Amino acid sequence: MNKHLTEGQLRAALDGELDGANMRHLESCSACRARQDLIRAESQQAARGLSFLASPAPRTAPAAKTALNRFHQRNPTQKEISMFRKIFASPLLRAGLAIVLALAVMLSFPQGRALADQILNLFRVQQVVVVPVDFTGMQQLTGNSTIGKQVSDLISDSVTMQQKPGDPVTATDAAQASQLAGFTVRVPPAMTPSRISVENGAAFTIKVDVAKAQALLNEAGRPDLVLPTSIDGSDVSVTIPASATVAFGTCPDPAAQDNPADLGTTAGRKYPDCIILAEIPTPTVSAPAGLDIAQLAQLGLEFSGMTSDQAAAFTQTVDWTSTLVIPLPKNAATYQQVMVDGVNGTLIQRPADDAPQYALLWVKNGIIYAISSLGTNSQQALDIANSLP
Amino acid sequence: MDEFLPHERAIPAMKARKAEPVEPRIVPIEASLSARSFEDLFLENWGPVYRLLVRMLGDPAEAEDLALETFFRFYRRPPQAGDGYNPGGWLYRVATNLGLHSIRSFKRRERYELAAGKAALESPPEDQPAAIFENEEDHRLARLALARLNPRRAELLVMRYSGMAYKDIAAALGLSPTSIGPLLLRAEREFAKVYRALEQEEA
Repeated sequence: MNKHLTEGQLRAALDGELDGANMRHLESCSACRARQDLIRAESQQAARGLSFLASPAPRTAPAAKTALNRFHQRNPTQKEISMFRKIFASPLLRAGLAIVLALAVMLSFPQGRALADQILNLFRVQQVVVVPVDFTGMQQLTGNSTIGKQVSDLISDSVTMQQKPGDPVTATDAAQASQLAGFTVRVPPAMTPSRISVENGAAFTIKVDVAKAQALLNEAGRPDLVLPTSIDGSDVSVTIPASATVAFGTCPDPAAQDNPADLGTTAGRKYPDCIILAEIPTPTVSAPAGLDIAQLAQLGLEFSGMTSDQAAAFTQTVDWTSTLVIPLPKNAATYQQVMVDGVNGTLIQRPADDAPQYALLWVKNGIIYAISSLGTNSQQALDIANSLP
Repeated sequence: MDEFLPHERAIPAMKARKAEPVEPRIVPIEASLSARSFEDLFLENWGPVYRLLVRMLGDPAEAEDLALETFFRFYRRPPQAGDGYNPGGWLYRVATNLGLHSIRSFKRRERYELAAGKAALESPPEDQPAAIFENEEDHRLARLALARLNPRRAELLVMRYSGMAYKDIAAALGLSPTSIGPLLLRAEREFAKVYRALEQEEA
């Protein structure tokens, strides 16, 4: 072999990671060895700095079995919180609100709104309603790999993305954010945001596959919940507009959320002073006029823990054309109606000793607002909301 | 805002910090989770994942929390079995990114540095206080440099310098093993550049 080695190959050789033929070339080529000496000198600078990564670990490392016990002790809370996280995730829009909206979409179609057109725009959020749900049954499904795969298959087979949300773009001020987002982004005048970011909207279509969805229910131990075959093949189109996130204090980088390691991070302890104000115009949903979403909503509520009677009663109390329904885990959160920004809002609080959190949600002039933070000082959120221009 | 682990525990004293075998390599797991229990996976990988994090952060309590968080994530959303299924690599990568994410948080970094300094004083590797502080200062700068680095490059450096073989890094990052050499060299150059800049900033 006469061809000289690349810098990358020379670097790999320093770690003994070069294949035999190239190693033989290196041994016989003084020019390559000279270049490798230079690379070695460069690498050694990094090696010195990073030597702590290979240092002996402390002997106080918890034993694996002890750690496993701790894992099991903490895990029930984690599973409960994974549901709650959908409400309080930060940044709310990127990690949580979209999920909440997706849930709401599935629960929020009008039953009897059959108009002449086959495709209708039905869903406009005008208010927020919280429904306490016992997620115990769903929690038991966590970690069920068969169901996990079925859900994954169902989503990948049923959902077609027409527009994927891009990475958040940082805006210099509210005016630029408004220009980017296409609606007036409101920022409290007395506070200086640490970041304002705007994320593009998203659009996707869900094609209902009754057989797969029913198989999922069966696998989940709920064959008693029977999906109507009439919905098979129905297309539901969802358009989620561009959204804005206004951060105060030290908050996580929204762009880092795509990283698998950054999703649901230990942000709570890292960002104790972080407050997120999220703003998003109401999403738009189109569906065949005959699709009986209220029936599906009832099934969904039953699946998530309500009895059939409870689900039916709740379904009848909600105006599905205008209500964002947020399922909250029972015993994990409290909620109350509050006046905010001149309208009725919902204050949700998680009164945990170790990591109390709150979220304030309201809808005004077609825009959904959410302020979320750690701690118990929810008055702060009310003050921010009431100071919006 | 999705931190639900308990608040800090007292940082355990790190005494008798004698040399012990470095155990950077993850346990290769070929079989799918259906054939192996989650607990087996936990028990086999806990040590390497924890030790990686404690070296990265210098804070045993935080390392334990993040190691548990790594396994929580696996438990909640395990990687799908199939070609290239590599749960050990997945765990190591998630742990690496959790560690880097923590380092990037300024407030957390301050705490790590305090903890690391305290640990060093409680278990001096040698009887030279000046050398201890010098080492900790080097580590502090190195962590700062990692925090400022391109995340992918920081991830690669942590994996390599914690002892992972190229093929394991490649499997964890979804890269070709032959691409590790050139990527590593680029990452080292960027690291050295950032490190020097930090030294000058603080001079």
